[in-house]
Amino acid sequence: MPLSKVGEKRFNVINNSVPRIDGVDKVTGKARYAADIYMEGMLYAGVLRSPYSSAKVVKINADKAREIEGVHAVVTCFDMPRRQSWATYMYLTDVIRYPGDCVAMAAAESKELVDEALAAIEVEYEELPGVYTIEEALAEGAPLVHEKYKNNIFTDSYYPIRKGDAEEAMKKADIVVEREYRTQYIEHSYIEPEACVCYINPNDGAMTVHSASQNPFFTRRYVADVLGVPMNRVRMIQETLGGTFGGKEEGAGLVAGRCAYLANLTKRPVKFVFSREDSFLESAKRHPFRFRYKAGLTKEGKIIAWIGEQVDNCGAYNNQTQFMNSRASIHSAGPYEIDNVKTDTYGVFTNNVHSGAMRGYSSPQIIWAQEQFIEELADACGMDELEFRRKNLLHDGALTATGWPIEHCVLREIMDYTAKETDYVRKHKEYKTQKNERKRRGIGLAVTHRGSGLGAESPDASGCMMICNEDGSVMINSGLAENGQGLKTAYAQIAAEALGVRYEDVKFFGTDTHSIPDCGMTVASRGTVMGAQSVRKTGEKLKGIMIQNALDIKAFPLEEIEKKYKLKAGSLSYDKLEVKDAELLNSEFFLKKYPEVKVPFKNVCNTCLWAGKQMAAFEWFMPEALNQDHHTGQGKAFPTFAYGCIVAEVEVDMKTGYVDVLKVTASHDVGTAINPALIKGQIYGGIVMGQGFAVTEDVITGKRGQKTKNFDSYIIPTAMDAPEMKINIFENDDPAGTYGAKSIGEPATEGVGAAIANAIFNATGRRIYENPADLETILLGHKLQ
Amino acid sequence: MERIKVSFTLNGKPCEVMTKPYSRLLDMLRDDLRLTGTKEGCGVGECGACTVILDGKAVTACLVPAPSVEGRNVVTIEGVGKEGKLDPIQEAVLKEHALQCGFCTPGFIMSAKALLDENPFATKEEIRRAISGNLCRCTGYEQLTTAIYEAAEELRKLNKTKI
Amino acid sequence: MITYEYRRAESLEDAASVLEKYGDTARIVAGGTDIMVQIHEKDKRWENLKCLLDMTYLENELRYISEDSENVYIGPLSTHTDLENSEIIKKYLPFLGEASSTVGSPQIRNRGTIGGSIGNAFPASDPLPALVAADAVVVLYGLCGKRSILLKDLYEGKGKLALRRGEFIREFIVPKFPEGTVTGFSKLGRRKALAISRLNCAAALTFGEKGEITRARICPGCIFIVPDRVEKAEKLLIGEKPSEKLFYEAGRAVSDVMIERTGVRWSTEYKKPAVEEIVFRALAAAAGMEV
Repeated sequence: MPLSKVGEKRFNVINNSVPRIDGVDKVTGKARYAADIYMEGMLYAGVLRSPYSSAKVVKINADKAREIEGVHAVVTCFDMPRRQSWATYMYLTDVIRYPGDCVAMAAAESKELVDEALAAIEVEYEELPGVYTIEEALAEGAPLVHEKYKNNIFTDSYYPIRKGDAEEAMKKADIVVEREYRTQYIEHSYIEPEACVCYINPNDGAMTVHSASQNPFFTRRYVADVLGVPMNRVRMIQETLGGTFGGKEEGAGLVAGRCAYLANLTKRPVKFVFSREDSFLESAKRHPFRFRYKAGLTKEGKIIAWIGEQVDNCGAYNNQTQFMNSRASIHSAGPYEIDNVKTDTYGVFTNNVHSGAMRGYSSPQIIWAQEQFIEELADACGMDELEFRRKNLLHDGALTATGWPIEHCVLREIMDYTAKETDYVRKHKEYKTQKNERKRRGIGLAVTHRGSGLGAESPDASGCMMICNEDGSVMINSGLAENGQGLKTAYAQIAAEALGVRYEDVKFFGTDTHSIPDCGMTVASRGTVMGAQSVRKTGEKLKGIMIQNALDIKAFPLEEIEKKYKLKAGSLSYDKLEVKDAELLNSEFFLKKYPEVKVPFKNVCNTCLWAGKQMAAFEWFMPEALNQDHHTGQGKAFPTFAYGCIVAEVEVDMKTGYVDVLKVTASHDVGTAINPALIKGQIYGGIVMGQGFAVTEDVITGKRGQKTKNFDSYIIPTAMDAPEMKINIFENDDPAGTYGAKSIGEPATEGVGAAIANAIFNATGRRIYENPADLETILLGHKLQ
Repeated sequence: MERIKVSFTLNGKPCEVMTKPYSRLLDMLRDDLRLTGTKEGCGVGECGACTVILDGKAVTACLVPAPSVEGRNVVTIEGVGKEGKLDPIQEAVLKEHALQCGFCTPGFIMSAKALLDENPFATKEEIRRAISGNLCRCTGYEQLTTAIYEAAEELRKLNKTKI
Repeated sequence: MITYEYRRAESLEDAASVLEKYGDTARIVAGGTDIMVQIHEKDKRWENLKCLLDMTYLENELRYISEDSENVYIGPLSTHTDLENSEIIKKYLPFLGEASSTVGSPQIRNRGTIGGSIGNAFPASDPLPALVAADAVVVLYGLCGKRSILLKDLYEGKGKLALRRGEFIREFIVPKFPEGTVTGFSKLGRRKALAISRLNCAAALTFGEKGEITRARICPGCIFIVPDRVEKAEKLLIGEKPSEKLFYEAGRAVSDVMIERTGVRWSTEYKKPAVEEIVFRALAAAAGMEV
């Protein structure tokens, strides 16, 4: 398939870089985040965390804390009735499974009183043996993190792929290569720490929650559960969210659950804002993986067998590991056509912080390992790594690892384009023979494919409410949430496109769980590609309704049209006009045959109000059912895939191990670019996040607790570290997503680490088997620990 | 502990606050004055979300003891832009789509303003250095750097017409 | 949360008497880039903090960079930004200016002071090696008067300074280098800004008429418990002309001394080759050698 660039499709509102709907509020500092809320009589909340990674609370005495004046509530792990959330995490616990577990919480009139109260709580612990690495967890006789899970294996997160007969095919292979790769803990590092304000609304008695939540309905579930009240007694209002990347899902629920509990107990508004240290200790991390891949090749460089074991460290509690591993298993053989695949993916529990959803949902780790492995395979059969990829890449009609034929695939095209643009072949060859002992250049490439939306992981349905006001302004409401990515802007564009109004006339005010049904989570880069399907559907429905309304109220000046177009008087008649004859575009109605006479949308709206016409619609979108066999993983796993290719250029300091990422070129197939500027923003940010993953970021944790607790020791790239970036956005005729849109939030970051690792190899001749490629790893070839 | 009085110039106007002696400038701005555009991201001066301009220099308000601004001049994001009009830096950030979640945005604008007030001819390299104490996890800094560069051009034009 | 009273120092004498009165329960704040972080982190050292003594209103007395024919004088309230921009520093102690320009971020350089960087005994301080390499003298002020000691002798042990009760840093006196001296600074961090030095090094070389090294000063940072020049490495250079080989020998001498003093540790495998390179780079930078 040829590649097409943005602008070749024809749209009115989408496909344009309209300004952000929330831009002015954000640049003036007026946008309100949860921590910015202050209320009369408001209390502050805080938690007391365990100093141990694995322990038991023997005794706890909070009497002194309760006596402090201004302290309104002290709750210990022994006096909270529902201390386990609806999921497995604990609000408070006497069984310490990781160093972020909390044993008590307090609410008081000031932040310092909260601290004083927490410090006054006397806790006696019994330290217990724990497990911290995948190996320790799986060792025979290892202490169990959860009694229920023998050998610490999280059985519910086990996903196999069985395609063909990999063991048999391996025997026939000319060349067999086997490797192991490992990745590290990554912190989301949104700049806004978790925050929440809860109070009982005096008008209806509902627990009202203002929170920084990625998924408002998810948070509501926590609060209703901890209070033991029906969901219609909890109202969650989404505040401006200061970044999440998958991190403010469970974490936000835990914060809100505790905060609501204290608000209910004290009958006062309570504000709970995490310190950065709290956030590092309790928020989920990207799962560290141990990958073991074995591939069988023919002499000619065709992969005929692929066996893999993908084990992830889920930490102390399950945080979506089962859903994530579903995705991990579907992508376990990479974007390659391999007839015989056998992979097993599962999580193990350890006494570390829980791993959870983070931008990519396993793909940055998997691609980082696979795209290095692919180059090792190419090398093993003496082939050029691009040629080797070409020989094995997925293409239209090829079967994925789940045995489903691929359509609209542009992998090869996108790889060849990017390699050519970056002069990859020449540079790669030249850099291999560098002699300089101090500084060496390297160039590396990675290709990616990503199932769009949630796929077979869980339902990808959503709803949208759209209301036209009497003045022609339009409001939309959806259960998917603005996370900072620009969802409100993209949704307003899609609504304007579908309804036929101007972008400026549409507003999306954010999510309130009292006003719209649960539309699932804003995750998996599904907001635009799938979540917005309901916006389009509602817009198109409402457009029909409004055109009918315009006809009903006889809004078109038929006489004027007749005159203008020199028609016979009386030739036009409402009796003969139907919805299909009229159009609504840019907030103006007109008859398709006579487009020069326009009727303002707002005039029609105004009349419709007084005529009692319907001016709102709600529609629900449910995607086609996907089905995978659980025992073999075979079947249709995703509606479609997004493709990408990343090329990274680095300079490695051979004497200190410092990796300078000089340039990253990112090419992505976005299907349809709803807002190209927003897409670019996603990609720039994704590249720099991928750079951190590849080179500097690492949360150090273990028996002695979690060492990395703030941005002084967790090293994310600054403006001076970010590379030069070149972005290529390609469109595609694939119709699966909203107006053909595909995912971009996660594709933007998933291949970057792999490209950098390959570039480092090109420079140094050393493979990175254990991420990140920090100073010590580069210089010594192993971690310093 | 008894509150103490701090008098200083805030966004061009005299300001008097009774604050806790151990308040940080950040606490005084947010908790006492409810100027919540200045954000707390880390509390240790690493993320730059609380950047304000103190006597003409960008500083992180989480590391400044509140009473230490007595008699000094503080500008926060609320003091950027005049008479309801956005500052050219804010305009450029909007135009370049140089923001996403927006939490770090006020801090970046303050660092950029401190730079351009001092050096209206800043190069892109100088801009990157000037915002290197502000962490952003969403944008990758690229559009921000461009926006500040363009704002500098715009400011130079405006200053020329003034003369 | 650590709570405390705030005191504004009205004069040098006032500062000394507050410190005298409170002893360990008072702490000086200037830029706050260390102490405010430690307070946030509930550092055990300040559990009993009663008084934070703000020195920043003594700018007239304590914030300056000046010179006479023999010395450069630096007031402890000079910020890293002041040092980076000072013409005097550029002229006489360029490596100190360079080192200051690599500290943290603009916000930290705008607030953080040279007095604080030394007074907090921060082991990975960037300006510290340059000051020690330049044989800086620190003047201490106390109620009993002033005294001067060599900066390197101010350090008593890990994070501990030889300050008497009530004393604080009044001034740094840095002797000007002999004619024909050049300096270099090198730093290794994990990123280009907001980087705490993994390793750093300051070096000064004085050349004779024939291009031979007549005097050398090498002070590596981050590797010793108390900062120090490495005379063993300095001596190797005397009488020699700059070369890559020579400077690497000096680097190896530094790593030898590091191991002599601190033993072989878990991190030595990395630090040994890296410190050799960082020393080499400081020397090469001083000698204007392209690397």
